[in-house]
Amino acid sequence: MNKFTTLSLALSSAIILLASSCSKNSDDPTPAVSKLTTKTVADLDGSTAAAYYSLSTGAQITGADTASTKWDIKFKGTSIFINGGTSGTGTTQAQIVSNTFETLTTAPTANYKSDAAGTPAISGWYTYTATTEPQHAILTVPGKIIVLKTSAGNYAKVEIISYYKGNPNTTTATFADLATRPASRFYTFRFAYQGDGTTSFK
Amino acid sequence: MQIKYILYVLAMPFTFNIAYAQRRDTLKKDTVNIKQLKEVVVTGTRTPKSLQQVPIPITRITADEIKKKGLVRLNEVLAEQTGMTILDDPHGQGIQIQGFDPAYTMILIDGLPLIGRNTGILELSRITTNNIDRIEIVKGPTSSLYGSEAMAGVVNIITADPVKGISGDVATRYGTNNTADLTLNSAYKNDRFYISGFANRYSSDGYTLQSSSGLPTVSPFAGYTLNGKSSYKIDDRTTIKLSVRYYTNDQDSRYLVDNRYAGGTGTEKDFNIAPVITHRFTDKLLSTLQLYRSTYKTNSDVRYEDDKSVYDQTYFNQAFNRAELQNDYAVKDNLKLTAGAGGQYETVEATRYTKLQSFTSGYGYFQADWLPVKKLDVIAGGRYDMHSVYKSQFSPKLAASYALSSKFTVLGSAGKGYKAPDFRQLYLNFTNAEVGYSVFGYEEASAGIQRLQQAGQIETILIDPATLKSLNAESSTAFNLGYRYKPTNKLYWTANLFRNNITNLIETAAIAIKTNGQSVFSYFNLNKVYTQGVETDLSYQLFKPLQVAAGFQYLEAYDQDVLDQIAAGKVFTKDPETNLTKVIKRSDYGGLLGRSKYTYNVRVNYQEDKTGINASIRAIYRGRYGYKDTDGNGIVNRNDEYTKGYVLVNASLSKPFLKDAFRVQLTAQNLLNYKDAQVILNLPGRLIYAGITYNFNKK
Repeated sequence: MNKFTTLSLALSSAIILLASSCSKNSDDPTPAVSKLTTKTVADLDGSTAAAYYSLSTGAQITGADTASTKWDIKFKGTSIFINGGTSGTGTTQAQIVSNTFETLTTAPTANYKSDAAGTPAISGWYTYTATTEPQHAILTVPGKIIVLKTSAGNYAKVEIISYYKGNPNTTTATFADLATRPASRFYTFRFAYQGDGTTSFK
Repeated sequence: MQIKYILYVLAMPFTFNIAYAQRRDTLKKDTVNIKQLKEVVVTGTRTPKSLQQVPIPITRITADEIKKKGLVRLNEVLAEQTGMTILDDPHGQGIQIQGFDPAYTMILIDGLPLIGRNTGILELSRITTNNIDRIEIVKGPTSSLYGSEAMAGVVNIITADPVKGISGDVATRYGTNNTADLTLNSAYKNDRFYISGFANRYSSDGYTLQSSSGLPTVSPFAGYTLNGKSSYKIDDRTTIKLSVRYYTNDQDSRYLVDNRYAGGTGTEKDFNIAPVITHRFTDKLLSTLQLYRSTYKTNSDVRYEDDKSVYDQTYFNQAFNRAELQNDYAVKDNLKLTAGAGGQYETVEATRYTKLQSFTSGYGYFQADWLPVKKLDVIAGGRYDMHSVYKSQFSPKLAASYALSSKFTVLGSAGKGYKAPDFRQLYLNFTNAEVGYSVFGYEEASAGIQRLQQAGQIETILIDPATLKSLNAESSTAFNLGYRYKPTNKLYWTANLFRNNITNLIETAAIAIKTNGQSVFSYFNLNKVYTQGVETDLSYQLFKPLQVAAGFQYLEAYDQDVLDQIAAGKVFTKDPETNLTKVIKRSDYGGLLGRSKYTYNVRVNYQEDKTGINASIRAIYRGRYGYKDTDGNGIVNRNDEYTKGYVLVNASLSKPFLKDAFRVQLTAQNLLNYKDAQVILNLPGRLIYAGITYNFNKK
């Protein structure tokens, strides 16, 4: 009998607590409107020349603009550069965070780096298989989320998905066969860009 | 989930047997005991002991069994044993026991360790199973008796003593890939003296799995073993014995280096000599003084085929010397004490070492075998090893067996095992000429880095060699619990649960980056892993000539650090369909590379007594195992990172003629011709051999 009373007491107090916390939330003033844009870019073509991309506008940058601060990230072979340091006229900085794209909801505030000669801010995003099957392939490493602080001072997160045209399944026999493997230097990636200057990716 | 079910099945004999034992205990028949006593094993305790009673997991394979199957090399025999897997490795065919790599199993001939390992692997085909009496396999750490290396277990090849009079035999086997095994045995024995010897030749043309490459998977080789053994009984109390073994093998090699072919010959030589004197001081005290020297040498000269310039010239010379005294003292009928002490001196000199390196070590061991009551056998022991280079080790062991009835024995043991850092991990000084990375042993790291720095080849130092912690022995704590059940002479069932907690595993890690972008590696005590599982084997005489048997092993082998990382949600994979990152769950983790969760075998043997015909067929299944990491997270988790599971079917047929003087036999291995040319390089496909043996004996 005694147990029941304690139990019901605990239960009812929990309900009250829950209810009061709920009502509190709904009383909050209007929340800040997030300026988050999320996009998946399929097959950005870097096969003939380096590909420049602007995360703020969600578009590829070409021509004379590649010498400006308009682009944020650049793909050249297996190297990824950011607009700043030795790579560009901007002040973009970046780092790699171990996480999934979805669960990384806040950008870190410290430890960003600019590109420097021989030591780019972004490395270790792929593995080269050499003679292990599938042979001589560039495979993206899981859980390597690139977080950027762009020249405009906004935060973005990027997950590189594929280095091959059409984002192929790399575990198939078609991919393993060098004769039927899709062309390389076609970058598929997804990103979230927070335009409001906060570190939130929500 | 699965392990629970397995445990339930294994626990079944307990439930019915205990009840049965209570009823029948008083009717115990001595005849059964006498028969069991005949099956003596020595490896588990370093003293003769009945197989049914010895309190640690042990397998005994007789020469008769091996001969009837037409097997001639140790790898062929071990490949068919429950709970043992021959690993596919470019450095040789070694054995995996309880999930341990081959480096952790000691290979002994008459109790003396063989040396000569290539990255931890002792090539098992080096050892002929000709002229043996039996093979004993102890599973679980046996460092309490044998010291370093006996962490997973020991395989002990017990050579045969000759029969009285003049005897001898000629044995041949020939088959696929021109693989030939030829042996000549002869012996003489009288009441006080015997001498025996054999010569064996084992050769093959090797095989090529990917013919388009123009490179053999296994190159042609020819090896010889010469063996002599002699014993003389000076008086009723004293015997001296000498055994000598010499093995040499020449193997061709061919490589493709930057579109140029290179080839040459490698030679290995293995020599052992072991004089022993045993003296029985009283009925209670027996002393054995043993000296042992073993050397292992290899050298190879590989040159480019086009201009004959040198591609690689290497040599490796290792020597092992030991003196040991063991005393066996029977205090009472139910209490036997064993104590021993020894000293060892080892050297190695090789292309990849800066200079001649040496180890000095000393050890003492002690064991008490006590039967407080007739049914209970308790063995307690330990060994202390002192070493000139690494920390001293103490390896205790406690084991007990209890006969619930004459038919059912339960056994359990707990013990420590260790493996000392080897010469390679301490002294290696190696730079890969093609790729450009360097590996230094712990003792060489400082000097090596300094040399590279002076040559301007170091870009960044990751770990200052001065701060490296001295390398410790790898060690394990192990628990084994099982039973042996023999309700009738027709049925024999064993089972064993095991768990090994291994710490201080030695792994390589980068200590510096070179200007060419490659790393400099050294050795560290890094990982903490565990292996656990269950093994069971059952044989049953279905009717007179037909015996069926089956064995099974369930194995888990995990890296504790990886498990911790997974628990923290820090290990990721890519979904192969979308290439998007996912977090890995505990159930996705496939454990250590090269470990099959499931292995089993089914054996059927037909022995016709009238004609002597023996036919047998064995199917050996090896479940899928992880062999690579394609999603870049460093662990096995995705389906494409596993091999397929496969079945090997081996069969044999033999018949004796002219009162057993001749035996003709046919042997087939891998009858289903299973191959995986990309991944499994030690499966050449179907192998068919025919053999004939002639033996004589004049009393």
